[in-house]
Amino acid sequence: MLEANALAKSYNGTTALHPLNLSIEPGEIFCLLGANGAGKTTTINLFLNFIPPTAGTAKIGGLDVVQQPLESKRLLAYIPEQVMLYKNLTGIENLEYFTSLARGSHTKAELLGFLEEAGLARADADKRVAAYSKGMRQKVGIAIAIAKKARALLLDEPTSGLDPKASNEFSELLKKLSGQGAAILMATHDLFRAKETGTRVGIMKHGHLVAQYATSELGHADLERIYLEHMHD
Amino acid sequence: MILRIARKEMTEMVRDGRFRAAGAIVFTLLAGALLLGWQHYREVSAQHAAAQKATRDQWLRQGKKNPHSAAHYGVYAFKPKVPLTMVDRGTDPYTGVAVWLEAHKQNEFKYRPAQDATAVQRFGELTGATVLQLLVPLLIVLLTFNAFSGERELGTLRQLRSLGVSQTDLARGKALGVAGALGLLLVPAALIGVVALTAASGQTDMIASAPRMAWMTLSYLLYFAAFVGISLAVSASAPSSRSALIVLLGFWMFNGLIAPRAASDIAKAVRPAPSAFQFAQGIGKALQGDGHNSASARGKRLEAELLKKYNVDKVEALPITLTGARLQDGEEHGNQVFDAAYSDLWKTFGEQEGVHRAVSVFAPALAVRSTSMAFAGADFPQHAHFAQAAEEYRRMIQRVMNEDIMKNAGSTGVYMAGGDLWRKVPPFSYTAPDAGWVLARQSPSLAILALWCAAAGVAAMWASRRVQVY
Repeated sequence: MLEANALAKSYNGTTALHPLNLSIEPGEIFCLLGANGAGKTTTINLFLNFIPPTAGTAKIGGLDVVQQPLESKRLLAYIPEQVMLYKNLTGIENLEYFTSLARGSHTKAELLGFLEEAGLARADADKRVAAYSKGMRQKVGIAIAIAKKARALLLDEPTSGLDPKASNEFSELLKKLSGQGAAILMATHDLFRAKETGTRVGIMKHGHLVAQYATSELGHADLERIYLEHMHD
Repeated sequence: MILRIARKEMTEMVRDGRFRAAGAIVFTLLAGALLLGWQHYREVSAQHAAAQKATRDQWLRQGKKNPHSAAHYGVYAFKPKVPLTMVDRGTDPYTGVAVWLEAHKQNEFKYRPAQDATAVQRFGELTGATVLQLLVPLLIVLLTFNAFSGERELGTLRQLRSLGVSQTDLARGKALGVAGALGLLLVPAALIGVVALTAASGQTDMIASAPRMAWMTLSYLLYFAAFVGISLAVSASAPSSRSALIVLLGFWMFNGLIAPRAASDIAKAVRPAPSAFQFAQGIGKALQGDGHNSASARGKRLEAELLKKYNVDKVEALPITLTGARLQDGEEHGNQVFDAAYSDLWKTFGEQEGVHRAVSVFAPALAVRSTSMAFAGADFPQHAHFAQAAEEYRRMIQRVMNEDIMKNAGSTGVYMAGGDLWRKVPPFSYTAPDAGWVLARQSPSLAILALWCAAAGVAAMWASRRVQVY
């Protein structure tokens, strides 16, 4: 579903991402680990076509993201570290706006259903998001993904800064979406969550994907040890 | 999609306290300016009607006197106030609205408020036109400078982009959203204007001003649309909201404050117009030897022509009164002098207007200022049109008076005429040019506005396609 073929990016001679080959199938949750600046966000931004690749291709559902920027995006949902919303609109208005721009048309009851599914309290849906906590914003982000019936999710450290309970809820939602057949690529620093939620983990360093493991092969302690070994120069 | 974006932009703006405050200020100023304009219009047109009637009554009831004395007594002609001048007073404060029509002289206009005003008042006068030309664009800038840069800084642009929203749709939606928000202010203000116009001028005059009003509205819409386009283009291409705001405020100042001032300075330098004193002196010189003086060469030539025409050998044998013929001859000589002087002056003013139009290629405020005052009926060409009509009326009075002297004065005694003669002069009536007349003269400025609008639209589309999310 998500596919990188020799995907590479450099800025003025500095390589941010060395040729990357990666394929994520429906139902998989691939967690990208690595220090800040290792190339995780660059990879996600390349899939989103926010930045043009220097070489190689990124495909979503077989659509080249550079050649078909609008079509490829209809398949995906993106949840950044901070889901940014319009502060003068309520949660449900934000959801309605974003889903309608994604060419969806939903009744208010359906939209409330998506928010409920994402775990947002009913009373909060009609509050302006200026008053929202980060966890509540992330839930709106998830609701957008649910409403869009996204087949691919790109997540950039979506749980950093969330309290453990909120983080746990978020992971549960991801599992549910992946259970429904979504392919998920998530950059994260949370080794515990990566092991718990992910089906595969990849470790990035200096723009290289240096290692990949199936989480079922690893224990929690193993993952941390392997990660630190890789980070050691 | 575009409509959905527009609706959200509008909702956001309307909920934003800053927009509400700025909008309330602009609306209050605009409505206030229109009401002040309405009051001014009512006062001035009432004064005008009263004065017009008074001058006519004085003329008819001047009693028995020599027709030439009556010609010197003269009448006043008042420029009728067009209802739309309540929006834009144009050049009226500078050109004046009343002229004294008397023998021998084409007078300058009087009642020029600008004569009595201090320099500061140039900035102080609150008219609908000032609000529309200066403050509404400022409001547009404040509403749109962060349209793209703000969303990029906030991070919502990345989210929009991840949804597969086309950037040009986003730009169109935002443009429409600003248009809608402005509509919330301007449509009620326009309605107040229409009601005030109807109240001030009556329904028939209101219908008569409709084409002018439509063209004026169109020119303002083009002007606002150009500003929206420019703002969106700058917001899409500027590295930050801050720099977008600085660039846009710079343009706003250049457009509304610097360029108009520069244009009049350039116009004065390139095509200098004579001062009122120089102009009067020039005419005085050219007039030397007028019809009162039979010793002059012109007087002799006139006698010779008349003797030949009536086939008699001495002045006493002429079937007409020579004094009347001399007076009319003097008038005609004067008319030639005035025609030459005024056509030179008006040509210079026309060339100065051309300079303004050239500068308006760089500053649309000048173009909209020109169309606005023209369709309001208060620009210089329409002033000249009225001045021309008043002058023709003056010449007609002189001709009627002088012909009466020729026919009836005889050669001895003091000749006196009365009410019958005064009534031979019809009351002065003036019909202002129609919208088509104005349109023919304003099409270059309208074209410049349309061009600005189109170019701004293209720039906004071009820039929005190139917006980077980081």
